[in-house]
Amino acid sequence: MEMIMALIVGTLYAAGVYMIRRRSLVKLIIGLGLLGHASNMLIFSMGNLVRGNPPLLHEGIDLASLADPLPQALILTAIVIGFGAQAFAIVLIRRVYQRVGTDDMDQLIATDKPR
Amino acid sequence: MEDLTLLLPFVFIFSAALVAVVVGSTSWLQSANGRSPLTTLAWLLALAPLASFVLLAQKIGLINEGEKLKASLTWLPSLNISFSFYLDGLSLLFALLVTGIGTLIIIYAGYYFQKEPSAWRFLSYLFLFMGSMLGLVMAGDVIVLFLFWEGTSITSFLLVAYKYKYPEARQGAFKALFITGGGGIALLFGLLIVAGVSGETSLSAILGSGDLLRESALYPLMLGLLALAALTKSAQWPFHFWLPQAMSAPTPASAYLHSATMVKAGIYLMARLNPVLGETELWFWLFSIVGLITMVLGAYLGLKQNDLKALLAYSTISQLGVLMMLIGQDTDIAFKALVVGVLAHALYKSALFLVAGTVDHESGTRDLRQLGGLRAKMPITAVLAVVAGLSMAGLPPLFGFLAKETLLATAVHPSLPNFFSWVLAAGSVTAGALMLAQAGVLVFGTFWGQPGEAATKADEAPKLMLLAPAIPALLSLAIGILPEPEFLAALLAKGAEAAFGDKVKVSLALWTGLNVPLLLSIVAISLGSTLFYFRHPVRAWQTNFAAQLDLNRAFAATLRGIDWASDQVTRLQNGRLRRYLSFIIVGMVGLVLLFTQGQFGQLLQTMQNDVQFTWTGSQDFLRLVAILVTVGAAIASVLLKRDFAAIVALGASGLSIAVLMVLEPAPDVALVQVVVDILSVVILVLALRLLPRKERQNALSLNMTGGQADRIRNIFIAASSGLVVTVITLFALTSRPRESVVTPFFIENAKPLTSAKDVVGAIIVDFRALDTMIEIAVFSMAGLGMFTLLRQATQALGDKVGEKRPSSAKKLTSFGIYGLRTSVFVQALARLSLPLAIVLAATHMMYGHDQPGDGFTAGVIISLAIGFAYVVFGYEETRARYKWLSAPLIASGMFVLLLVGTSGWLINGTFLSPVDYGAMLNLSLPTGFYLSSAFLFEVAICLSVLGSVFFMLNTLGHPEGLGQNETK
Repeated sequence: MEMIMALIVGTLYAAGVYMIRRRSLVKLIIGLGLLGHASNMLIFSMGNLVRGNPPLLHEGIDLASLADPLPQALILTAIVIGFGAQAFAIVLIRRVYQRVGTDDMDQLIATDKPR
Repeated sequence: MEDLTLLLPFVFIFSAALVAVVVGSTSWLQSANGRSPLTTLAWLLALAPLASFVLLAQKIGLINEGEKLKASLTWLPSLNISFSFYLDGLSLLFALLVTGIGTLIIIYAGYYFQKEPSAWRFLSYLFLFMGSMLGLVMAGDVIVLFLFWEGTSITSFLLVAYKYKYPEARQGAFKALFITGGGGIALLFGLLIVAGVSGETSLSAILGSGDLLRESALYPLMLGLLALAALTKSAQWPFHFWLPQAMSAPTPASAYLHSATMVKAGIYLMARLNPVLGETELWFWLFSIVGLITMVLGAYLGLKQNDLKALLAYSTISQLGVLMMLIGQDTDIAFKALVVGVLAHALYKSALFLVAGTVDHESGTRDLRQLGGLRAKMPITAVLAVVAGLSMAGLPPLFGFLAKETLLATAVHPSLPNFFSWVLAAGSVTAGALMLAQAGVLVFGTFWGQPGEAATKADEAPKLMLLAPAIPALLSLAIGILPEPEFLAALLAKGAEAAFGDKVKVSLALWTGLNVPLLLSIVAISLGSTLFYFRHPVRAWQTNFAAQLDLNRAFAATLRGIDWASDQVTRLQNGRLRRYLSFIIVGMVGLVLLFTQGQFGQLLQTMQNDVQFTWTGSQDFLRLVAILVTVGAAIASVLLKRDFAAIVALGASGLSIAVLMVLEPAPDVALVQVVVDILSVVILVLALRLLPRKERQNALSLNMTGGQADRIRNIFIAASSGLVVTVITLFALTSRPRESVVTPFFIENAKPLTSAKDVVGAIIVDFRALDTMIEIAVFSMAGLGMFTLLRQATQALGDKVGEKRPSSAKKLTSFGIYGLRTSVFVQALARLSLPLAIVLAATHMMYGHDQPGDGFTAGVIISLAIGFAYVVFGYEETRARYKWLSAPLIASGMFVLLLVGTSGWLINGTFLSPVDYGAMLNLSLPTGFYLSSAFLFEVAICLSVLGSVFFMLNTLGHPEGLGQNETK
């Protein structure tokens, strides 16, 4: 399982990096989303990857069989923050577009309209 | 003696800052009926420093009896640091100056800015500064002292940069912050070393460990650091050049910060520490020489200035040099000269600054070449200028004369080395003569002589405005000619004693008989008068000669050097962000390869031993499918050309991650992942609408035609970074401990401590509640930030977003998001979905503690229903339908969060600790539902999230958000 997890994370990461290296701003945002997925998976795989019971404490459950709740709680936070950042990035890019009149990353070399 | 009333001045002053902001945000200041409202506001606010002054003045009696007052609040008991204040003679002297002159400055500022209603900002900065300065001189703990010290630097920056539209103001503010901020860092390290050596941070404890400090091996280091702080703050050579630049501040600020108070903070610091760090060779030579150079240099440069404020700034530098030099001495007379000098200078210099400000205000210029002959138009101002100018010149019978006499007496004190005594006396006489000449130039050049062009339009300032310079000017005279005020002499003596560490006798009598200081004084006065008589040739000669002494150039050259060096280093940064990214990623890949070289074989070995993939049936099949979809969709989002398709692919990838989470099993994560994924697709699609298609296609074709080389490079970078991340992950996964250290704690304590069955939920809202609280705050800020950005944008386009529009005309037309009419069936669904979503969300929150589900999911679920409404009904109707959706949602969410946290604090003694209100109040509630702090926490999260997502949907779904580019 570790091997597969590592491969997923690596692939998602490569896809994300490729996207943020592209010139279109929309692709950049998609790339950010992919990188977010990759990081969440990475954090998630840090837990003990047991296929046990969900971390719910019902009566008479074997505590050792529970999935590790800590990474779950951590990526919950990460997902939320990641989404907030992504949404903000979208609006920021919209604003940048309005200001400089392009969504070509290579034209974004100044804070005003390109000469 | 403990005296908690010492805290009151801070309450007064900081409340005044707050009141200024509150009043400023109302429209009251804009109303222009009769008298300027800002002047009225300033008069009212001046009560705060006045009350503080009176309160502090009442302590004079106690202090003069040798009492030391303290007030402390618990702050960091674990580090033995308390938020404490300390008042002795030295602190009181400075505190009275800060509040007394502060009162006058506030009143003056009210007139100075009477035509500028937005100057409430200035007033509130001024109060913040005043509070910081007062805290600095009354701090009873070195950490507190450091905090307030930094406070003065920052507020000073704000005040100098007040007219931020002018480049000089920005440059001056930057320079001041650069120099004094650097000194602040030195101060922190210096104080930490002092505290480390003496083992205490409280001032009274440090003041008792002088021998320990002086004998420490770290003594030169701590002295060096503290001196650096003091010399930068008090504008000593070679750091003096920031002060004249800071004169771009409005004059009330210059008068207050840059002559009477802030620049004396360095003097205060060294005077305060003299009993424990002073009386060494290093101390003596350091401060004597730096002070001497500053004194002569400042006086010399002051004489050649044409700008009134620049002239005053340089003479301030000179006077600060005098004070610094005095601190270096080890004689009682030096410390008498110090306290007398501090008081005399504060009085005459603030008066002169305010006179200069008045002249500037009334005539429109402060350039001596355009001024002259103002005496006829501004008689009162002229009289005040003469009085304060005589004090500056050090002539009898003014207080300044006494200051100069005691300085000269220090210079010829027999304890000094014979040679150095001569140098000191010569320097003091020179500086005194130059000071007299420039006082003459200042007063005579402004009010006498040929009326300059500015004189014609000038007029006398309002009488009450002149109160501010009049009081200190007349005090300079009164202390000189009236019978000696006992309490003042005693207070000055106490101040000098605190700085000297031994008894000091202070008498304020001007006439002390015919002695060496008097003779030197006569020499200085004659020399000064001669200089004044020949002022025109002298100043002309100075202007030609002295350009190379300008340290501003050295500063500029240093900065240019830094700029050049960083330019060389950052050649690679040509503004193309993609290139930066490449360097970052390639750098990371390189580093990982560098540090893991040769370990790959080992890694593969471990993996072969470690990895056993056992097939356990249908679950694994599902998992495999989910993995394949996750990766496949991610790759598809890369390959798909159309943005919309790529977004959908990204969404698919996210959803299959959610499936993976379900199988893991991580139900909480899966829930959040599902709702967030849907919401982010919705938002991306809404955003896509805002970016014109033509432009996007251009960018796309650029991607295609951008050259094969570019594409190959991208693929290479992406692949190598993916590989490296894979390797890192594998390392992490195979080398970590199998069992988590902290997890058992959470599992065992979830039930007893938080009575939750869902451990993940317990971690989020109980164990790590503060974390979650901050997370939600960040999320809310993202929502608010989006709103601000787009509102600004649409306003820039001339749109009127947020204004009330007549919605009744087009009411309930049910046109959807692209102006398409939606079918009745879909409309019914949309109407139904919101109440359903709310019920779903409510159950999520009520039972989230025992089952998967939380407030965040709840908030997003409701938001999704609203997003649906946006699609179906369009912007106008959705807004009309759900009026309760507005900014207060975020605020109320945050408010409930704080309330829940505080209730935990009040009931259990810890912020955010769990409380079961239902059980406390004996309510009968449905089984499984607890009216607990956790539940309210979820509700608060839900409200904040709802508010933020509403902002996101609202800004992105706004019809005018389409922008002019699309509609044209």
